[in-house]
Amino acid sequence: MVIGLPSDHLRKGRTMDTKAHVLEQIASNLYKGEDDVVATLVHQALDQGMAPAKILNGGLIAGMDEVGKDFKAGDLFVPEVLIAARAMHAGMDILRPLLAEGEVPSAGKYLIGTVQGDLHDIGKNLVKMMLEGAGFETIDLGTDVKPDAFVAAVREHQPQLIGMSALLTTTMTGMKATIEGLEEAGLRDTVKIMVGGAPLTAAFAEQIGADAYAPDAATAVDVARNLMGV
Amino acid sequence: MTEQIPIETLHPTIRMLSDEQIEAIHHASLDILSGTGIVMKNEVGRELLVDAGAWESEGRIKIPPHLVMDAIASASPRIPMFNRLGELTMPLEAGKVFFGPGSDCPFTIDVETGQRRKATAEDVRRIAHLCDSLAQIDFVMSMGSPSDVPPLDHYLHSFISMIRGSVKPNVYTANNREDMEDIYRIACAVAGGEDELREKPFMLHYAEPISPLLYNDESVDKLLFCAEKGIPVTYPPSPNTGGGGPITLAGALALGNAESLVGLALTQLVRPGTPFLYGMNTAALDMKSAIVSYGSPEWPLGMAACADLARYYDLPVWGTAGAADSKVVDAQAGIEAAISMMSAFLTRCNLVHDVGYIEYGTTSSMEMLVVADEIIREVRYIMGGVEISERTLAREAIHRAKPGGGFLADDHTLDNWKWAQWRPELIDRMRYDRWVEKGRKDMATRANERARQILAEHQVPPLPEAAEEVIAEVLKEREDSAKRTT
Repeated sequence: MVIGLPSDHLRKGRTMDTKAHVLEQIASNLYKGEDDVVATLVHQALDQGMAPAKILNGGLIAGMDEVGKDFKAGDLFVPEVLIAARAMHAGMDILRPLLAEGEVPSAGKYLIGTVQGDLHDIGKNLVKMMLEGAGFETIDLGTDVKPDAFVAAVREHQPQLIGMSALLTTTMTGMKATIEGLEEAGLRDTVKIMVGGAPLTAAFAEQIGADAYAPDAATAVDVARNLMGV
Repeated sequence: MTEQIPIETLHPTIRMLSDEQIEAIHHASLDILSGTGIVMKNEVGRELLVDAGAWESEGRIKIPPHLVMDAIASASPRIPMFNRLGELTMPLEAGKVFFGPGSDCPFTIDVETGQRRKATAEDVRRIAHLCDSLAQIDFVMSMGSPSDVPPLDHYLHSFISMIRGSVKPNVYTANNREDMEDIYRIACAVAGGEDELREKPFMLHYAEPISPLLYNDESVDKLLFCAEKGIPVTYPPSPNTGGGGPITLAGALALGNAESLVGLALTQLVRPGTPFLYGMNTAALDMKSAIVSYGSPEWPLGMAACADLARYYDLPVWGTAGAADSKVVDAQAGIEAAISMMSAFLTRCNLVHDVGYIEYGTTSSMEMLVVADEIIREVRYIMGGVEISERTLAREAIHRAKPGGGFLADDHTLDNWKWAQWRPELIDRMRYDRWVEKGRKDMATRANERARQILAEHQVPPLPEAAEEVIAEVLKEREDSAKRTT
């Protein structure tokens, strides 16, 4: 990773005047994907006596929000988002052991998978990473997930949201089967269901009884937030 | 592993002619010159050739092979071109490819109204200004024939507009020796003197004989002026198949080669080593409309053959690409531009002009220039070839990857994505919904917006004050002489 002038400047700690300032620096360095600098700054914030939850919310998540906003506006490339996510992980690795139980904020618990008969993983993974960047807790069931497996996972993890992915027109029907499976199990009303993938449309989502459709990974985050009512 | 010698990347090229084919064209050209002969309307040109061993027969000047071969031997294989700030930006030499617009279109597509209208001197300046900003455009040409100045002063005004609009090297045209002298005075003032201009030329003159085999007085006079002053010059004939040249491309190439070599010989007889850009224009005369087709496949085919001939002679070479017969910037224009520009790169044509022409060279289009800039950038990426190295083979990333899981979030992707993939600037890859949301803009619309943005934002360093003073003097002299004659 390239460490430019601003971060070298930061490392010397010359601009660490106020507590608010360090959070802004964490957010802006996270945006730039400077994972080493983010880690250093998180340590500095802790040394100043700042609460871990405050560093997480005011620094890491605030930075990731900016990334998500600019990606959605078309100003960022996918790798830039992922590099920022890498920097967020660098900060999270330090904070996680220090955060008390229940202090880790979650935008929602999200169960995600590619439907039965479909082994395509890449698009689903991108959506998952974008959701994690936005503070969602994700449970990834992988690919070729049978309706029963979705139902069992809902029962076990009790998520608020389910995301189903399909790349093939031949596997899209697995989405409807999964929704029907959840209905039969009496779990349909406990979750909001989102679908996505290259051959899908909003009309198809409505037709099979899903709650929402997202055309791309950036939109998926917004759709998920809307479904959570935030 | 110790550090090993890197694997060299192959950068693709094409050859259109075999050695045997090149020799056959060369011999046919020499036979045309010694057996058929040319018509020379310029007296000094006639004397130069006859004094060097040519002879007159049946109203023609017939030129022996040794005269031509001596000229090839004395010409420089490279022409270093500078911008008007004195920086070497366009060394015309083996392996290098430079692009720029064409000259003297009577019409332009108004970038504000979209209307086709007569070009003005201000259009020439604005197009040069646009070209100054376009990263893939290396030189400027006048691109418009100004309708708002006295007809005999067209070329002078075009030159002034070009150098005001851009610092990039230019290829200029002129009416006659008087134009050449006035332009030379201005150019010397820009460069800081005659010696400075000769050492760091920022302009190259474009004159042409009339195919087949006619050397008109003014064009030879302009050519000789360049040789006298050491101004780089090109003298491409236009043996368009079925028009200025035989209907068959081989015949057109033999004729055009002969004609171009006479231009070379004239410059070398005046001053050996005169920087001369070899080449010819091999368009097709369309057999239905009788237009000279700028988008015809014969042109890139002929350009590639011409580049092979230039390599045989070890001369820098002139070419044509990025021009269209289409009347608008549409799919046809894109096809015509992309095929010809790809060919120009593959043949390593050194100076490639006419980028941005539509309507078979009758109309200039700023949108077409902006589109061409994107095509050149994309083709340049393809010419880069495929780097094969440890960093590009990505062994570790492949080893790490979960089968089916992809590389999108792998560190190898995150560390290399910026250089490993080409990224479009004008070409659209938005998802459908977003494209609709952003106004459903097609390529021409986006190019128009980009052109207007550049015109509004891009800054060009002004000419030196001394140069503006000489321009004022020259224009005043023209006005005074016009008054005397009326």
